[in-house]
Amino acid sequence: MSAAATVPGIGRPRLGKALPSALWALLLLTPAFVSLASVSFYPIVNGLYLSLTNTSLITQENEFSGFANYVQLWGDAQFWNAWWHTMWFTAASTVLETVIGLCMALILCEAFKGRGLVRAAMLVPWAMPTVVTSKMFGWLFDGQNGIINYILLHAGLIDQNINWYGSPDTAMTTIIIADVWKTTPFMALLLLTGLQTVPNSLIEAARMDGAKGWITFWYIRLPLLMPTLLIAGLFRALDAFRVFDLVYVLTGGGPADSTETLSTLSYKVLFSTLQFGYGSAVSTAMFVTEGIIALAFCLYLIRQIRRAQ
Amino acid sequence: MTDIKKGPVTGSKPVAHVTVADRRQFLVGSAGLLGAATLSLGTGLGVRRARAQSRAEISFASAAFFGKETFGDLIKAFNESQDRVLVKNIELPPPSSSTEVYQGLVQQLARRTGTPDVFSQDVIWIAGFAAAGWALPLDEYFPADKRSAYFSGTLNACTYDGKLTALPWFMDSGMFYYRKDVLEKHGGKVPENWADMATIAATAQKAGDVDFGYLWQGKQAEVLVCDAVEIITSNNGAILAPDGKSSLINQKAAVDAIQFLHDTINATKISPQDVLSWDEEPSRQPFTSGKAMFMRNWSYVYPIAQDAKASQVVDKVGVAPLPSFPGGKSAACLGGYQLGVNANSKQREAAIELLAWLSSTETQHRIALNFGLAPTRPALFQDEQIKKEQPFMASLEKVFTGATARPITPEYAKVTLALQSGISKALVSGNVQAEMDALSDQINKIVG
Repeated sequence: MSAAATVPGIGRPRLGKALPSALWALLLLTPAFVSLASVSFYPIVNGLYLSLTNTSLITQENEFSGFANYVQLWGDAQFWNAWWHTMWFTAASTVLETVIGLCMALILCEAFKGRGLVRAAMLVPWAMPTVVTSKMFGWLFDGQNGIINYILLHAGLIDQNINWYGSPDTAMTTIIIADVWKTTPFMALLLLTGLQTVPNSLIEAARMDGAKGWITFWYIRLPLLMPTLLIAGLFRALDAFRVFDLVYVLTGGGPADSTETLSTLSYKVLFSTLQFGYGSAVSTAMFVTEGIIALAFCLYLIRQIRRAQ
Repeated sequence: MTDIKKGPVTGSKPVAHVTVADRRQFLVGSAGLLGAATLSLGTGLGVRRARAQSRAEISFASAAFFGKETFGDLIKAFNESQDRVLVKNIELPPPSSSTEVYQGLVQQLARRTGTPDVFSQDVIWIAGFAAAGWALPLDEYFPADKRSAYFSGTLNACTYDGKLTALPWFMDSGMFYYRKDVLEKHGGKVPENWADMATIAATAQKAGDVDFGYLWQGKQAEVLVCDAVEIITSNNGAILAPDGKSSLINQKAAVDAIQFLHDTINATKISPQDVLSWDEEPSRQPFTSGKAMFMRNWSYVYPIAQDAKASQVVDKVGVAPLPSFPGGKSAACLGGYQLGVNANSKQREAAIELLAWLSSTETQHRIALNFGLAPTRPALFQDEQIKKEQPFMASLEKVFTGATARPITPEYAKVTLALQSGISKALVSGNVQAEMDALSDQINKIVG
């Protein structure tokens, strides 16, 4: 029995000796690497390659075309139109969500009766499927029977119904409002966890020195919250950049392309016209823009941290 | 120690040997058993198998429509009706997920494996499938005398580059809904041209009989292209030249027609500005709640308008062909699914047999009654049973006579996106000529 047990026992150190420890570590990492590479790295590289071809399911072409797609993209007014809309949507929704989220977090950080309940209830909008939110805002802002028009009209703020989704002046704003409603709780939650890491002793010390609430916030809480704020902002910006469902359900990109974003455009090019080559170029341009946004946030973050040190 | 170590090693060989021998024996035994079983079961099974093998096996793919039965039941009925062809039904998503149905079909056809042998396709895909060489030209199987039994508009949509590459199956089209009771107050005659329509609508709106004179669909979506096709064609205009290689959308006929749509919102004010964000359903709701006089929409609205639970206008709604401009003819944008045969099908004769059966008078009759989908054969609109069970459908013959195809081009998917964007811009800004010029350039780049 004991002999039988030693047989595999002998084998183990021998195998260990045959492989240097570094190689052994690599071997153990291989499964994780392979699975990640197959679902993450390969699609990205394949997407990049497709963007350099004229692949189209309809014409059945599939040839390498160099940078032809990118040249076309550079001169494509539709693309730049969608690019600016996406940037505007990302900037506006991220700023609004951060500011409102911060206010909410500051309130939720204070002790009051029923705080737990409010914290839980606050997350409801975020937990809803976006398509449901979209439909809901579709009704709220309906040009004929929407309650928003009803309230504004009866409050005397407007003298006739506003056609929220039918006018290029208001369609994008309405979509931004819907997104802010939906995602602010998420920001508030992230910032709340950040606020809770600020030591109470610092705030108490400031109060002892006679600092008012605003001063405490500006000089104690905000600087210490900065890294959390930036990371939360980065998450939100990258997420907002991919906006699809709200636009797709509410306006389909119209009227007059005024709400077309990069996601809806690439969906149309890729899946309606089945131009996989050009569609991949649009997606790659999205990827590059997101990379630049992330880089800008990270550089700023690093500078903040260095300055703090 | 050695015993223990050796035990499994030496033991493994005989075990392996035994298994192989055993398996062999088992195989021999089972073959014998099988033979015996076939023998003892007699000829019944053998005959059935032989018959199944002599039937040509093909497949049929279609978007899933539902009614009193499904397309699966239809295929089953075909399989039972004869013993030459055996069809396997491939069910694609429902027509509401049209993009997914399209992708599914494209992926299968692009493999050129011959599956599916027969398929149904939305009218706007026909040219693309034909140009890619996926759809078999059907001219030799359905010569001119057989084709005259179909509406000419659907035949036109089924023809690409002079060849019939699809066979008409069932259809729908845009139509003109009106309120009988309100119209009675304002002359009682259904307007046949757009100017009369606008005048009546404005009068009724001013008199306070309705909130909206005319409802249509201006959302930047496929339906906007349908509305545009109808109004442009009714002014003797067109989006593409007959050869499909150049744009005519910046010609006077088309520009005037789009200008008319713009005017319904901004000049005659018979349409609310909201139509710019409305597709079918949002425009249907005010109509069935009694707020509008005229509306352009598809045939699905009628049953809703007649349903007392959902509608305030039961028995007050009439349907007619859409109006036209002076010198033009009423046009109705064609929708519906048509049949095609895979050019790579290995069972061509069997595929044609299924195709002919699906499009036959009998099957279209059955589809009309069981699915509520309108036939593409005008003769069926005189059928007594259809008249009795689907009186509304039977009344649509005149509407369908004006059925007009959307631009016939293999690049339709790109053309429609350009049209949706360009027409939406024209309607919003009111610079119709300038926007149509820009749109025309863009379309010429795509199809030229």
